[in-house]
Amino acid sequence: MKIDRIQVCALASPPQRVIAVALDRVPAGYPSPAQDYSDTKIDLSEMLIRDQVSTFIVRVSGESMQGAGISDGDELIVDRSVKPRDGHVVIAVIDGEMTVKRLSTGPDGVVLKAENPDYPDLRVAELSDFRVWGVATTCLHHL
Amino acid sequence: MPTPPLEARQTYIAHVDVNSFYVSCERAFDPTLEGRPVIVLSNNDGCAVARSAEAKALGIEMGAPWFKLAVDADRINLVAKSSNYELYGEMSGRVMKLLGRFSAWVEVYSIDEAFLGVTGTVDELQALGEQIKAEVFRLTGLPVCVGIAKTKTLAKMANKTAKHIKELGGVCVWDRAPRTTTENLLARLPTVEIWGIGPRLTKRLRGLGIWTAKDLRDADEVRIRDKFSIVQMRTVLELRGIPCIPMEEERVIKDQLIFSRSFSDPITDRVGMEQVMGIYAQQASARLHKHQKQAKILSAWAMTSYYNQHQDHQPAITVKLPGPSADPVVLTKAAKQLLPQILVGVKYARAGVVVMDLQPTAMQETFEPFVAAHEAKQIGPLIAQIRSEHGVKAIGLGAAGLAQGPAWQMRREMMSPRYTTHWKELLRVNAA
Repeated sequence: MKIDRIQVCALASPPQRVIAVALDRVPAGYPSPAQDYSDTKIDLSEMLIRDQVSTFIVRVSGESMQGAGISDGDELIVDRSVKPRDGHVVIAVIDGEMTVKRLSTGPDGVVLKAENPDYPDLRVAELSDFRVWGVATTCLHHL
Repeated sequence: MPTPPLEARQTYIAHVDVNSFYVSCERAFDPTLEGRPVIVLSNNDGCAVARSAEAKALGIEMGAPWFKLAVDADRINLVAKSSNYELYGEMSGRVMKLLGRFSAWVEVYSIDEAFLGVTGTVDELQALGEQIKAEVFRLTGLPVCVGIAKTKTLAKMANKTAKHIKELGGVCVWDRAPRTTTENLLARLPTVEIWGIGPRLTKRLRGLGIWTAKDLRDADEVRIRDKFSIVQMRTVLELRGIPCIPMEEERVIKDQLIFSRSFSDPITDRVGMEQVMGIYAQQASARLHKHQKQAKILSAWAMTSYYNQHQDHQPAITVKLPGPSADPVVLTKAAKQLLPQILVGVKYARAGVVVMDLQPTAMQETFEPFVAAHEAKQIGPLIAQIRSEHGVKAIGLGAAGLAQGPAWQMRREMMSPRYTTHWKELLRVNAA
């Protein structure tokens, strides 16, 4: 087993970042006026990923969450560090299956709601095995 | 809570490792694997290299060959997974990054374990251990155990204890346990279980009447040093709680690097073997460059399968390089000197390249006449850069550079998706 090999690769490849460098030739005395305004490029993960350690990206199969703006084939950004609360869209493990649902913790107990009238809600009491795998924070919806 | 007296807060070492790491990575994304016997197979789906607790309970040994286990797999509900190194490497990175939040002083010891420098009273350390365990699971889905003690050797032992004694809940602070308990554990632990004591050393220690960890701790350290070496003397002292093995920021690259794999289909000609040699030599070059090392000696070898009794052939060469080098062209040329020995038609099942006698890349320029014409042009780093930007298959030297994957590449038939590194292989969640 080549253990140290993989370890080295994994740690040696932190996410690539774009760094602004002065590439223009600078004739002495006449710096390019544009250089003062150079900036790093917009980095999407900066906005979408709060914590690299706990964030995973998953892909949705099915239409049951359409009312929440989540369609078949969309990617969800899931942050495991977020504590699940009433109203969160969560990835739940139900009987060994990963399912996306809206979490509802009302007076009648925990309910996993679909956002599509064609699909039924699931009452947690009826489920043999249930836990929240992570909380979805963003949907990447493809137009 | 009143602040404990200063003398009660001491520096300790925490050893954190992931339980059945490869299997746990698989389970983090596939809940159907929970509670079932699961194994992960070595390269080419050869043998079991990781086993879940359920698989161990079935008596499946480390290294058990898959072709033997496969026959019974369905009957015993056993799941086998091919090694998904992309996934394990990425998950390992997450765990190590998270551990860095608990201590500024982290030594990544292997893909699934690390040492952390920590400070506190034994009760504070117990709470810290529990917090580490809970946070790693909450954020990554991976279960870990934590052992905390005065030395690395004892921290490892505490971790093992945490794994085996269920009541501890996965965390063991060695100095917090009653003295009678730890003495008992040491008296029952065979020396082979101690970090750094292998099976061979165990035999020699028995010759001296040293059978258990307690025996070794209480042995005369000077006698141990004289019989063995300073390394074993350090172990004795570490067992007594005297730190002797320092924390290392990054582990020192060893004096040799080995690149070797079994082929999924045997290689029977020189063209195929030339390609293999080229790829291994270039991997060696990339790794040497990364660690800023140069090799003086290269050896290359090939062998037929152990099960192939008719054609036993194991050609090998060792080449002294023209000067210390990490250059891919120099290494490839050297490795290809094996080719004349390859017999056409013989089925080679495995081959390898080893670079040895490593030294740090010279700060001074090598004396001109020994620099190959192309070498000054920094081809190695250039290839590495192109690969990092455009993928490992984007460029390569000679036959190794063929864009088409060679037939002998790793067999990974039962591999799970590379959930965290490939857009096309993301975890699927049901909205149904």
